[in-house]
Amino acid sequence: MIARAILRFLARTPWSTAMALIGMALGVTSIVSVHLVSASISNRLDGLVPSTFASYSHYLHRDELDSADYFALRRLWRAGDLPALKQLAPLVDETSQIDGRSVRVLGTDLLANLPSANANTLVGPFSWNGVWVDESLKDQLSMPINGIIDAPKGTLLADIATAHDLLGWPNNQLSYIGLVLNDPFAGSIEIAEKLLPGFGAGFPSAEPSLDLPPDWQLVSNAEQYPAREFGKSILFNISALGMLALLVAWLLIYQVAVSWLRRIWPVFDRLHVLGVEWQQLRSYFLFSIGLVASLAALLGLAVGWWLAIWLLQISMPRQAVNLSLDSWVIFKAVGSSVAVCLLGGAWAFHRSQRTVSHSTLPISTTLILLVTATWCVLQPQTGLAGGFFAIAVLSLAASQTIAPLLIGLKRWASMIRGSYLMRIGVREALWHPRELSVAIAGLSLAIATAIGVALMVDSFRVDFSQMLDHRLKYDVIAQGDAATLNKIAAKNEVARLYDRKQIYRTTDIRVAGLLMQLDITRMDAFESSRYGYSRNLATNDILVSEQAGRALQLSVGEQLTVAGEVMTVAGLFSAFGDLKPRIIVDQHSPLTTAFGAGLKTKTNNRLQIDSIAFGSDQPDALLTDLRQRFPKLELRLQSDIRRVALDTFDQTFAITTVLITIALLVAAISVYIAVTTMRLNRKTGRQLLNTLGVNRTEQLMMNTALGTGLGLVAIIIALPLGVMFGWILCNVINPRAFGWTIELQLSARALLYACGWGMLAAIAAGILQGGGREEGAFGER
Amino acid sequence: MTKPAALNVYKISKHYQDGSRRIDVIADLSFNVAAGESLSIMGPSGSGKSTLLNLLAGLLELDEGDITLALKDQSFSYRAANERSRTALRRQSIGYVYQFFNLVPTLTVLENVRLPARLNHRRDLERHASTLLGEFGLADRLNDFPERLSGGEQQRVAVARALLLKPPLLLADEPTGNLDAENSKHVAELLFSSCREQNISLVLATHSNEVAAMADTRLQLDRPSPS
Repeated sequence: MIARAILRFLARTPWSTAMALIGMALGVTSIVSVHLVSASISNRLDGLVPSTFASYSHYLHRDELDSADYFALRRLWRAGDLPALKQLAPLVDETSQIDGRSVRVLGTDLLANLPSANANTLVGPFSWNGVWVDESLKDQLSMPINGIIDAPKGTLLADIATAHDLLGWPNNQLSYIGLVLNDPFAGSIEIAEKLLPGFGAGFPSAEPSLDLPPDWQLVSNAEQYPAREFGKSILFNISALGMLALLVAWLLIYQVAVSWLRRIWPVFDRLHVLGVEWQQLRSYFLFSIGLVASLAALLGLAVGWWLAIWLLQISMPRQAVNLSLDSWVIFKAVGSSVAVCLLGGAWAFHRSQRTVSHSTLPISTTLILLVTATWCVLQPQTGLAGGFFAIAVLSLAASQTIAPLLIGLKRWASMIRGSYLMRIGVREALWHPRELSVAIAGLSLAIATAIGVALMVDSFRVDFSQMLDHRLKYDVIAQGDAATLNKIAAKNEVARLYDRKQIYRTTDIRVAGLLMQLDITRMDAFESSRYGYSRNLATNDILVSEQAGRALQLSVGEQLTVAGEVMTVAGLFSAFGDLKPRIIVDQHSPLTTAFGAGLKTKTNNRLQIDSIAFGSDQPDALLTDLRQRFPKLELRLQSDIRRVALDTFDQTFAITTVLITIALLVAAISVYIAVTTMRLNRKTGRQLLNTLGVNRTEQLMMNTALGTGLGLVAIIIALPLGVMFGWILCNVINPRAFGWTIELQLSARALLYACGWGMLAAIAAGILQGGGREEGAFGER
Repeated sequence: MTKPAALNVYKISKHYQDGSRRIDVIADLSFNVAAGESLSIMGPSGSGKSTLLNLLAGLLELDEGDITLALKDQSFSYRAANERSRTALRRQSIGYVYQFFNLVPTLTVLENVRLPARLNHRRDLERHASTLLGEFGLADRLNDFPERLSGGEQQRVAVARALLLKPPLLLADEPTGNLDAENSKHVAELLFSSCREQNISLVLATHSNEVAAMADTRLQLDRPSPS
């Protein structure tokens, strides 16, 4: 009987029931689409590492590595001298010309590590002398092909013996050794990554503790594949946005649960008067809202999957999109929908029963949390967790501020001037803190997220662009074959086509036990200016990358001892995308003499020419000339590098616009649902205005004013919150995750764009009228 | 000598559909109200009092018959009017007082009373709003919001608002139904005396015999039978 009464009530208001389902489904849609888009980008970045090598966490390098070195290491491991090591394998990795193509040949012990059936598609009968190739080489090679692997273009995988044959190497030669090291955080990072794709990139792996002979160099996966790691770092920032979008979706789902309860509450009230226990009514309520949440989760999963495919297709039109709903995204969607609904619904029921005050957390608790968050921001040792804790606390504190703010503004409501209908609209936004505070909190959070991320992206782009401006002062850069580079360095081979030749020597060294890259070149004023230092670099001066400065806790003017030489830090430079800390000295520095004379670098590398840059008035002609003369060199125009770098940057961050749009859309629906509920509860007020002769145009104006009022309240909260989010992303999270600081630029574009869209979303929520026909004139008979 | 009718109700009908049942709430009803005169409507709950008032206000459409209201220089026929014209009629020529929820909660007392003047761009009447409220004993409550007023005060504000434009027709749906005896008498006297003084036709639905007795004419409605 009770269930029938409730069902009848819901059936008589089909529009509102449908809106609850749609609202909740949209919340789930945003969760699913943000997850799938992030997961897709993450998978693309993972594709930069051949799938067979993906399981290694580190690599060991050594000068002239051979199988004897590998077995010596294996013996140590078997004797228990390398307890941190879980697994090791000899690997071959070299580029060679095969069938007239440049092919990266990877060799691994296929007896121990056969490519799994899932990771490849068999294309022919299996052969131990056969190879696995990426899709691009499928029909290009004359040798037997066993299958297709996920790997960058031009990659070939073979058994180690076959790889030796293909490269023409001696049987005992190796490139490096792949390792799997014990990492106590690995499990947590993997779960974080599964729940919020891209999130795991910002969390530090455990510091490897391998007691190796000094001539071994341990390199992390990140150092081995820098492009993937830089992409992951950008994705990590997007993932932070995904976390906030998740919060906004949760707020929407909670808002729907609250609205649902508000609609059905008069029925409950009457049933309670008739003797039905609150507990029983709560069970009915939770069952009904749980049912809606389950349906919404299914709907949201389907729509979210479709939306993610569509978003990826429009943002990356030339790439195939293939997304699947894994168990994690299903768990996240259904869990968010059902759990938030049931917990939020139970809480809302409890509040309605006891008519508790608006504040859900005592002020003292909020203050304690804020003080703790400030401490986390100021203390670098709290790491990324501290940064995210600060964001979460700020979001919570801001949402706590809404109801008191509305109550405070209501006191001053009589000061609002202008047309009476506009006054009514704007004041309505302030009048109902219980109904509207959660929705406004969601909208504020969405706008703040948009502001924070836009500020971070704009600031990042400005810094990145400035860095490119500094670094890309030369017109052509040559890398590759060492003998050719040495030949060019020694002679003025093509002097007629360039006016400056800059030779870069580099090696890996250890400073205070830390692995660093040492760059040695002619550091005159022109070259120094590329690193933000405007004078000739003195022979005992050193320029230090931001990561190196942070790792060694150095600032400008301090001294650093390298290879027994005392050097003075003349400047710090930003180096986005660098994976190793880097230091730069002049070619006449004592360090050049020390390392050039064969001083042990404690790594596998020798000081050698890494690249040569040319300044030229005729870059295209120079490029053509160099290509003809030195076909073994990799030659690039710097203008191309800049364009590609900025294009990649913009393309990666283009997805943030889409994610912000989803968050704002979700927030707008949340406000719409709250406004609809408010209207249902106060339909008599609107009816009165109708009786007084307020026409439809004027009602539209009032609704616009209501939306504007809601938008203004949300922006009042969102502006400072968004700037704080931006600051934390630039100055706390990025330095702690990647070692670089982004100088926060308060760009008007970022602020206006986010606030403008937020205001439009609020106005749309205010204007949209749904279900008006369900409500007849009051006092009809 | 009989006064000319300001409000002419001629053979009007209105029905509701409840599933397969048709309920004729108003059937073939006719009456006239002259300017400055009053009509009280009585009847049990569900007899169609509020429906009749909503028809007179133009909030509902007529099924049959017509209602005409004499304005300054013309007569307004409800039958021929669309929703837009009826809305304009309510705005300019009809005052309405409900039993509950008479005031816009987000406007102050003074703003509530001034609202019809603002809607009709009659700034000249704004000063009159304060005077009217003073006459109704609410001079010290001008800047308060309705939530701070008692039920009786709220009804007096509603009456003041309904009278501000001096409309030809004032409709009141159980205006004293929510008040105690003293306030009820006060509000009813205000309504009847003001309408009489300002030559406004008053149509009032009530359950109170005392209030109904104050009207010039009484109309009794019976509960409709479903067909």
